[in-house]
Amino acid sequence: MAQGLEIRRSSATLRGGGTGLRKLPTVAKYIDTSTCIGCKACEVACQEWNDLPLAKTEQVGTYQTLPTMTANFWNLIKFHEVETQEQGLSWLLRKDQCMHCDEPGCLEACPAPGAIVQYVNGIVDVDPEKCIGCGLCETGCPFDVPRYAQGTSKMAKCTLCVDRVSVGLEPACIKACPTGCLQFGDKATMVETAMHRVQQLKADGFAQALYYDPQGVGGTSVITVLKHGDHPEWYGLPKDPTIPATVSVWKRIIRPIGFVAMAAAIFGAIGHFMAFGPKKPKDASKQTGGEV
Amino acid sequence: MSELRMGVGGPTAIQVARDKEDVLVGDEIVRHRLSSRVIHWLVAVFFLTALFTGMAVWSPVFGWMANLFGGLSVVRWLHAWLGIAFVAAFILMFVAWLGDMKFDQYDKKWNVVEYLKFTDKDDPDVGKYNAGQKFFFWAAGLGALALLLSGIVLWWPAEFSQGLRSASLILHDLAFIAFFVAIVGHIYLSTAAEPGTFGSMTRGTVTKSWAKTHHPRWFRDVTSRK
Repeated sequence: MAQGLEIRRSSATLRGGGTGLRKLPTVAKYIDTSTCIGCKACEVACQEWNDLPLAKTEQVGTYQTLPTMTANFWNLIKFHEVETQEQGLSWLLRKDQCMHCDEPGCLEACPAPGAIVQYVNGIVDVDPEKCIGCGLCETGCPFDVPRYAQGTSKMAKCTLCVDRVSVGLEPACIKACPTGCLQFGDKATMVETAMHRVQQLKADGFAQALYYDPQGVGGTSVITVLKHGDHPEWYGLPKDPTIPATVSVWKRIIRPIGFVAMAAAIFGAIGHFMAFGPKKPKDASKQTGGEV
Repeated sequence: MSELRMGVGGPTAIQVARDKEDVLVGDEIVRHRLSSRVIHWLVAVFFLTALFTGMAVWSPVFGWMANLFGGLSVVRWLHAWLGIAFVAAFILMFVAWLGDMKFDQYDKKWNVVEYLKFTDKDDPDVGKYNAGQKFFFWAAGLGALALLLSGIVLWWPAEFSQGLRSASLILHDLAFIAFFVAIVGHIYLSTAAEPGTFGSMTRGTVTKSWAKTHHPRWFRDVTSRK
């Protein structure tokens, strides 16, 4: 748990997680995919700051360090090659990590009280002591982010360097970026920066440019500027991410119905007993008095 | 019928009930032989422990149940293994009881609403199991299968697609709720509602008057035998 940060939301908690008194601006990472050069400095900084072990790189035929994020590798520059009629060949690089959703699907799906928390500044974090390693957060996440530690099955992901942010430092990945394509600040400022960059891209001929801040999950604390904003899937991003309906249906509809059904069964049995009483065997003497 | 009395010198009902059922011993009828009862209680123990461990994960309201088993982190894997044990025991029970559970022509006229009125007007054609019990048997089998399949997906989330995991979450949930409601009815009907029933699952026997009241056709079959 980060010092000095109050909880905004906490998993599997019936009555809220924090006092609601302290308000802090939501923080955000700004990622400009159009100026990322794929140097992977952010990957290294992430590994270093978070004391994650060295990852053996895997050659997958692209400029990507690993095929996917792992429990020991939370920040991966994704590489996508796209060829279009108008733009020709593009190499699209996007820094992939936890999106820190305003309405986190992982937190919604998590059954362990306090295992996934959202701080007042919007950062979504995992408390490994409370995580039970069930994997339901993966079902709740529309971005395929949660990974599980070998052996313990505990979930691990980007913490948005909450330990740095809570003492006034910027995340390690931001600190390491040499081109300025990564920035960090309060979300309003990051959105402003993104809007400005989108205007520039549009002027440069990328008419579909936009910044990715999907409202289906209430917006994210990762603002990603995309040249081809009409095709987020080219960057490996879902078009309209939402918390899977089944997770919401489970918690908001089926579970209340379940409570009612369980209570109805118990009170139904008691009520039946009171109304109809026990059914005792018919007078035993009649039978035993017979032939036997 | 003197040979059925077996009073002096003959085996007692509980001795007969070790390996025979559907036989009359004195004033008692053996309803469930020992192996049947052991299988039933195996299923019951694994069902209830799987239920309590599952409920702890299902809602924080029941989170305290996890403490009975060592906390949520233990429950997370214990529940899965208890579920496997439940299904394994259930398969044994399913095979053992299948013969008695086939629906026949008498089941068509059995009426659950009339049955629950607990009147004296009993359906004279109810055999060893009434249609409701048979339905419970088959529904529980189907429910156990649903819990098994969806449980496997939930156990190894990384191996299955998002759609399959979501569907399993809902299926596991619905099956659990149905099982909870059914088990409350099952326990109620076999204890408080129908005195004399519980003994059929402990020492294995029921009284003749019990059999005549609740399962008249079975009573006639058993008493007319030999």
